[in-house]
Amino acid sequence: MMLKDDFVIQSEIRRILVRTNVDYSKINFGTVKGIVYIQGAFKISRYYTDGTSDSVQEFTRKTLVSLEKKIRTIPGVSDVNFQFRNWKKEKGRWIPKKEIEE
Amino acid sequence: MDSEERNRGMKEKGIPLYRRILVEVEKETQIHPSYADLQNQFGLLLVVQGDPEGAESHFLEALHLNPKYREATLNLGYLYIEMGRWKEAEDIFLSEARRHPKDGFIQHVLGILYFQIGKRKEAALHLQKSIQFHPYCRVYYEKKGIWKRRTIHFDQKTERVLKKIRLNYHYAHLHNSIGLYLAQEGKSNQAVQEFRKAAKLKPDDFLFHANLGTVYYHQGTYQKAIQEYQQALRMNPLYGMGYANLSYTYGLMGRTREALQSMEKAVLLNPRYADLHYNLALLYSDRKRNREAIHELKKALRINSKYLFARVNLGVLYEDQKKWKEAKREYRKILKITPEDEYVRQRLERIS
Repeated sequence: MMLKDDFVIQSEIRRILVRTNVDYSKINFGTVKGIVYIQGAFKISRYYTDGTSDSVQEFTRKTLVSLEKKIRTIPGVSDVNFQFRNWKKEKGRWIPKKEIEE
Repeated sequence: MDSEERNRGMKEKGIPLYRRILVEVEKETQIHPSYADLQNQFGLLLVVQGDPEGAESHFLEALHLNPKYREATLNLGYLYIEMGRWKEAEDIFLSEARRHPKDGFIQHVLGILYFQIGKRKEAALHLQKSIQFHPYCRVYYEKKGIWKRRTIHFDQKTERVLKKIRLNYHYAHLHNSIGLYLAQEGKSNQAVQEFRKAAKLKPDDFLFHANLGTVYYHQGTYQKAIQEYQQALRMNPLYGMGYANLSYTYGLMGRTREALQSMEKAVLLNPRYADLHYNLALLYSDRKRNREAIHELKKALRINSKYLFARVNLGVLYEDQKKWKEAKREYRKILKITPEDEYVRQRLERIS
């Protein structure tokens, strides 16, 4: 596969994050030879739910799945390494975790 | 003043969306009284509504919450000009001029202020300074006949022009504020219209063009984004983040040579931003300029030692240079912070 410049990938991720319904001010990201690192707290900026905790969690989960899909389809991205403080991926499923304050 | 009166006031002024935004910002300000941004925005809305005392109290509250909040300071200074409280306005802008002696916009405002109170000699002096420091001012004053044959000219036309500039200030910032609000809601076409109105009312403000650039960037109309960022940078060549945004836009277009040039300028203007050093490092490393990339990553890590991916990039670059000891050192530091990082663990195992 042809390698794409890390800076180009980085610019694509920046654009995806600002266009997604995510509070990107709490997220840091980097690119290392096509591998994307994303860290921080994953927070939604606007919820389109009935406000119950289950629906909020499901909405956040769907947003994470969609974000991951978008990043993985960027040409040149070989893997994505999520290191969120409040969400983790286990056996292909996103689950919330107790947030550790830095 | 109730919301009906406010609405009527704004209808007269012909600004759409005002009522909804005013109600929402007022509500948000009540929920989050300690957000300086909201206090400032609400103050701006009240200025346009014709409630200067209310506006003053919100600008002052914004400054109480964040004494270094420059936009609120300038809004308050301009409000004092509107209210004819010349001394308070003068104190604010002279203090700003001391802090930012080469800010052409502040010199421009001081020129207007002194002109209003009949101190024409001082007015001419500050307008001349604004021409010296703000490239756009020269063009604008020449166009309006204020700057002719290397001298400031005051006549009736000048008076009208300066008064118009003064009156347009808050309206321009209101349109800008509405534009930001719409952009946040994802209504980018409407946001563009508001920023355009702001830029028309106050053609010397780089910020409106920068915001236009950002909306176009989000829309994916990169060529327009580049034009707006470039316009903002012509107006304010010290706007470091403008160069960074320009660089990201070039990046999306795959124009990495121009992205590199812009990011180098961004770093020069904002040497304390670790993120900019990191992005510059990526641009160097993509071009196999590894020595310069390492230098930038080290700078990023000096600013923020917890900048994890900068350390990963650094380790990988050391590997490329066969500097195994240095690469291992960086990987071990990362694994101390994030022991679950399999990618780094594998890299470390491979070279151990």
